[in-house]
Amino acid sequence: MSFREKVATGKFVITAEVAPPRGTDYTSVIKAIEPLKGKVDAFNVTDCQRSMVRMAPLPMAKFLKDSGYEPILQLTCRDRNRIALQAELLGAYALGIENVCLMTGDFTTLGDQPDAKPVFDLDSVQLIEVASTLNSGRLMNGKELQGRVDLFIGAVYNPFAGPEILQVWKLEKKIKAGAKFIQTQPIYDVELARKVSDLIYSLGAVPVVGILPIKSLKMANFMKKLNPTSVPDSLIEGLERASNPATYGWDFAVDVAKACIEFSGGVHFMLVGKVQELASFIDFVKNHRDYNGKF
Amino acid sequence: MVTVKLKSLDEIVESLRRFNRVFIFGCQLGSARCKNGGLREAYRVAGYLELKGFKITGVKSPGGTCILDRLSSPERNLLKEAEESSDVILSLACGAGTQLIAENVSIPVKTGVTTLFIGAERDGRYFEEYCIACGDCVISSTGGICPVARCPKSLVNGPCGGAIAGKCEVDPNLSCIWFRIAQRMEQIGELPDLRKPVPPKDYSLSVYPRKLVLEE
Repeated sequence: MSFREKVATGKFVITAEVAPPRGTDYTSVIKAIEPLKGKVDAFNVTDCQRSMVRMAPLPMAKFLKDSGYEPILQLTCRDRNRIALQAELLGAYALGIENVCLMTGDFTTLGDQPDAKPVFDLDSVQLIEVASTLNSGRLMNGKELQGRVDLFIGAVYNPFAGPEILQVWKLEKKIKAGAKFIQTQPIYDVELARKVSDLIYSLGAVPVVGILPIKSLKMANFMKKLNPTSVPDSLIEGLERASNPATYGWDFAVDVAKACIEFSGGVHFMLVGKVQELASFIDFVKNHRDYNGKF
Repeated sequence: MVTVKLKSLDEIVESLRRFNRVFIFGCQLGSARCKNGGLREAYRVAGYLELKGFKITGVKSPGGTCILDRLSSPERNLLKEAEESSDVILSLACGAGTQLIAENVSIPVKTGVTTLFIGAERDGRYFEEYCIACGDCVISSTGGICPVARCPKSLVNGPCGGAIAGKCEVDPNLSCIWFRIAQRMEQIGELPDLRKPVPPKDYSLSVYPRKLVLEE
């Protein structure tokens, strides 16, 4: 069953993140995720995340697809104007890539080429609207398209950003514009994951809760610096006490993921490394009788 | 107001290296107000240039260097005065004023400032960018606060996911302008307006060079 079919029929989905290489060697990227083949439903291919140059996400998504993995093409508004974005989406669909996750994107000066010109011609809401317009057979200027487009559109949500009312309204705008699934920033608190999932369902999309296992106290403090309310004190205290913080952080994140199976639409692993552990986790939950029929 | 920043004195000296007699223009509008190119700064630069061996032929700071009448009127033609007495003009006016001078004289014109932005004065100490002259003003629907100029991503549909604890992800010293917009819109009873999606901006309206034609 494809990612799209699973989302549409209410199955629990598991997605993970893949960063294209800084260079041309895509084969090693694909080799690294081999243990996840047939286990992860779809892989988000990031678009020069943190504003650092890597291979473009579209060819990487195509390489994944050709190797038997289902991609979710991430596209940001940082580097492309509306002409380039429409062209990219058309190219993606023609190459057989139908899942997209559309977002505004990190700012240019946060990356390692801060002298680049920031574009931001459109924002995330407008880009989602554009993708829906392509799905209806037209360009955003109304001109008719040759050949059909049927993109499966997703978006992102950060429950820790503010002002809360505007973030919720922006989420609502994204869903009204055509986002069918919403991937969230990493969440480490089951109650919050439930609250966020309920919110996304109530607005008419399927939630996919972000999971990012913490590897060390240093990483936790870094995350806390980025997003003070996102890392609970219990996680910090646990990491301080743990003889092996990496294992503790992994178990903590996986417990949140397991809990999500009860009330959410899926989980999105934003991980680097730990591929084998993730594969075992997926095998475990998929074969566990409690979750029978969920996947 | 258009803000400018005075270049380093060494950089100014370097740009005038080939010349001897220098006429200095400041501007009493923007450049003077932001204390980087008014009469006071023009005299300071003049003093430094004299120390470096230049001959200063004049120091003038009209009230609006981007208005031709202020530079050359039948009573007093500053441009002609400068042209006849000097090898070069050093202008501390904004990019518009400096270009207007250059268009109307035959001698070289160098700038002693970099033009920064359209800003508002805060606490009499600093200026903040308030407007990018996008040609398609939205502030009537955002509480009189411009997200196009004051959000680095020019977001019009609400804040991005990097707006953490009221701060901007681009610069932690900067407040996310959407917090202020929300507060203001609530205060004036227009908060629900922000729920409506905003369509893409028409960037053809900010394609330069633009022109404003005055009606007869």
